[in-house]
Amino acid sequence: MEQYSDELSGIFQALADPTRRAVLGRLSKGPASVSDLAKPFEMALPSFMKHIRFLEGSGLIRTHKEGRVRTCEIERKRLAAVEGWLLEQRALWEGRADRLEQFVTRIQQQVKPK
Amino acid sequence: MTQTQSNDFDLTTSRIIKAPRALVWSAWADPVSFAQWWIPTPIKCKVVAMDLRPGGSFVTEMSENGGPFMPHLSACFLNIAEAERIVFTNALVDGWRPAAAFYPTPLTATITFKDHPEGTEYVAHVMHKDRADRDRHEELRFHDGWGTVAAQLAALVEPR
Repeated sequence: MEQYSDELSGIFQALADPTRRAVLGRLSKGPASVSDLAKPFEMALPSFMKHIRFLEGSGLIRTHKEGRVRTCEIERKRLAAVEGWLLEQRALWEGRADRLEQFVTRIQQQVKPK
Repeated sequence: MTQTQSNDFDLTTSRIIKAPRALVWSAWADPVSFAQWWIPTPIKCKVVAMDLRPGGSFVTEMSENGGPFMPHLSACFLNIAEAERIVFTNALVDGWRPAAAFYPTPLTATITFKDHPEGTEYVAHVMHKDRADRDRHEELRFHDGWGTVAAQLAALVEPR
């Protein structure tokens, strides 16, 4: 059970970032090379590679290298294995915790000006 | 408080919030503050009832695009410990009356606030009775204005 939660957290973290979501969105249409995937983003390649590795680590995508080209592909089985409903519930509560944290931080800055 | 053993339909989320526990508590327990973060902007949240005592009513409504306020959460507090814990369920409403409907599935949420060297440890532990059925799942996508991550996720997850 603990392992299941960790797995879910990993997947959620992978999906919590707009760049990674965009990459998954693109890959849902078919495999693509890292350089093609990186094009829409104003980001240095090493930074972009971190996102790719994060996605690979979470098992949501797999990559393979042929010559100089690294191709990424979505791991549909992995996505299908995720309980979508619970993940949405988690996303809901994660969002609430994030907004509470932001709200409190903002209030505190008003109370204690630097 | 003892917690029942977790199952596949439980989830826990936690944050270390760099602020005193009293401040984090008041962000939750003060309806005006609560309405500012419970639902993501630009959707407006209205706290219709937040009677912080066991059996007390807990009702929120939401309004999208300046439209009328619609039901969001209808629940009942089960346990309150000032600045420490809030427990509520949507399976009951005001005065422990059984709820006519619950959305999207019966749940009990335990919110705890603990002192932490960096501020406050905030934990939400949510227990669900079971998975939402298919129809509710469809509705859920639009619930809470959760139209970004969850919707994209659902689109990715669903077999095409």
